[in-house]
Amino acid sequence: MKLLTHNMLTSHVKGVTKGYPLLIKATEVKVNEVEFNPKFVCRMIPKLEWSALVQAADQLGHREELPGELVADYEKNEDFLKRVHRVLLEVEVIEGCLQCPESGREFPISRGIPNMLLSEDEA
Amino acid sequence: MSSAPETEMKEADSGVRYYCTAGNGMERFLVEEVKRKLAAEDIHQIPGKVLFSSSAAIHRVCDLKAAERLFLLLKQDSPVRMPTHTSPAKAASLLQSRLLGDSRGRWISAAVTWSRLQGELASSRNAVRASATQRVGENGRGSGKQSDEGEEGRQESRKRAQEFTAAEESVDKRPRGGEQSGRRAEGLQAEDGVREPEAVCGAGSGEEVEQNVESCGKSADGLGKDAGWESVGNVSFRISCKCSGSLSRCVSTQEVSKVMGVGLSRLLGWKADVRNPNLEINVYLSDDYCLLGIPLTRLPLANRSYIKTTGLRSTIAWAMASLAQIQPGFCVVDPMCGVGTILIEAAKEQQAACFLGVDIDDGQLQNADENIAFAKLQSRVHLLKASSMVLPLPSASVDAVVCDLPFGRKFSTRENMAESLPVILSEMERVLRVGGTLVVLLSPQLSCLLKKHLPQTHAGPKRNEAAAESQTGIESGLVSSPEQQITQMQSSSSQETVTVSSLAHQTTLRVSLGAIDGLIHRYVKILD
Repeated sequence: MKLLTHNMLTSHVKGVTKGYPLLIKATEVKVNEVEFNPKFVCRMIPKLEWSALVQAADQLGHREELPGELVADYEKNEDFLKRVHRVLLEVEVIEGCLQCPESGREFPISRGIPNMLLSEDEA
Repeated sequence: MSSAPETEMKEADSGVRYYCTAGNGMERFLVEEVKRKLAAEDIHQIPGKVLFSSSAAIHRVCDLKAAERLFLLLKQDSPVRMPTHTSPAKAASLLQSRLLGDSRGRWISAAVTWSRLQGELASSRNAVRASATQRVGENGRGSGKQSDEGEEGRQESRKRAQEFTAAEESVDKRPRGGEQSGRRAEGLQAEDGVREPEAVCGAGSGEEVEQNVESCGKSADGLGKDAGWESVGNVSFRISCKCSGSLSRCVSTQEVSKVMGVGLSRLLGWKADVRNPNLEINVYLSDDYCLLGIPLTRLPLANRSYIKTTGLRSTIAWAMASLAQIQPGFCVVDPMCGVGTILIEAAKEQQAACFLGVDIDDGQLQNADENIAFAKLQSRVHLLKASSMVLPLPSASVDAVVCDLPFGRKFSTRENMAESLPVILSEMERVLRVGGTLVVLLSPQLSCLLKKHLPQTHAGPKRNEAAAESQTGIESGLVSSPEQQITQMQSSSSQETVTVSSLAHQTTLRVSLGAIDGLIHRYVKILD
């Protein structure tokens, strides 16, 4: 699971009102080398919940100087874009789980794919 | 730019004339695609086929996504009309004159063009491989094909180009009139003729040619003859014929093939070879036209080199993605992604968007994972195990939802499609932002059910004027009269309220999926 994906996910356990962002508990993390595509990164940044991204990167111990707030004029800041690229696309949780911040319910991540299926009474 | 003589300008302007076969319902997508990607001209659409001219590079023509197969046009003409009680001899003579005539030039020039295109295709594939192999390390997954295939591919295309160069040279020696354009003779003079194929095929070194777009024709050991020979008699061919309509009652495909075979041998000295020919000549005879062409690729364009496990037919998947009009920066979700075909086609087309595939089945997700890696799209296409009925996504967070809904009555061990459809649709609606697009493919039966929940006729949900007017900025072409919808909505304001949906129907298109048909529906979210 990449952090770009994590940034989009929310807990849908019944009754939960604040299911975002999910906490990450990783047991296996991989860092891959991914071709840097600045145009793609630039396009994704406006869609991100920035604080959730920073928090997630922190939880994985891969924050590495990612600023707490979005810098102005980031389109031209290649250094910044590369950091975002790394955190969004190169860091990958292979095994672990996502935890609903409100209910504590854990969703396993296995072989890089989070399992967000709920049981019948949870949905 | 120097001013070129008239014959050269003419070729540059009109380019090459092609035709593609297309599945039923896909013609409109293909027409739009050739216009947009290839600046195609003289576009002519007939059921199941689109003819067009383009001067775009051949590798870009081979990148067409809505097409089944690609052909170099040999001849397009009015239908062959044969009176019912024509004798076999008369029939043969009629076919001979209508299909072959006695113009060698057309055939030779087509063969030369075909050969040139094969060379260009081979060299562009080698160039792509060369740059791709340099990047293999980054994603950790190379395409891993053997390099001797590439060697064979280049030798093969070099040999082919030489064959036709030799053919061209010998024709040049005869005085020929207008059919052979002077420019070709110029380009392939005796001295240059031998060198030119080298230049065309020389790009790249040791990289493989992708299997399904590899050049057609014989394997390297087929002809085994070098540029030493001079006669045109060493081109081998096979006829592939389809007859439909009233003509098929008068004459069989075998008769047509025989006439063509004998005729071509006599006219050009080419040899018929059913097993392993240089050229395949396709003949389509219907009540409306006769069409002759040479396939440019061994496998259909619809067989994608970048998809490992197929699901939905790639042409349909691509069409659905194109209907969604995915812009840079979009976030696109497929809530029942299966092996990921739609997302992969979409991601290949729009490189600055991200894609999320959701499925409930481990097997499907595993295949999707492999497909995504195989297509080298891991950075932009991601997967999630979840239920389409409870999407773990915030409301109004997605720009487009594209989905091929299972056609069967049961779509998982527990769920029944008809019962679950309303919930699935409401989740799709919920996660879409205002202005977001929904594109779904359903069976005709399920489409009836869809219409009950997401109205498609102008007897639609009650809505106030302001909301209806916010339906602006919707592109034309495939839109079904929004003005009509607005007028109807205004007039129906006095009627009783219906279940309000914020999804406004845009269009429904019927496509063939082989044995069955499917319906693609497009909606836009206009209210939250």
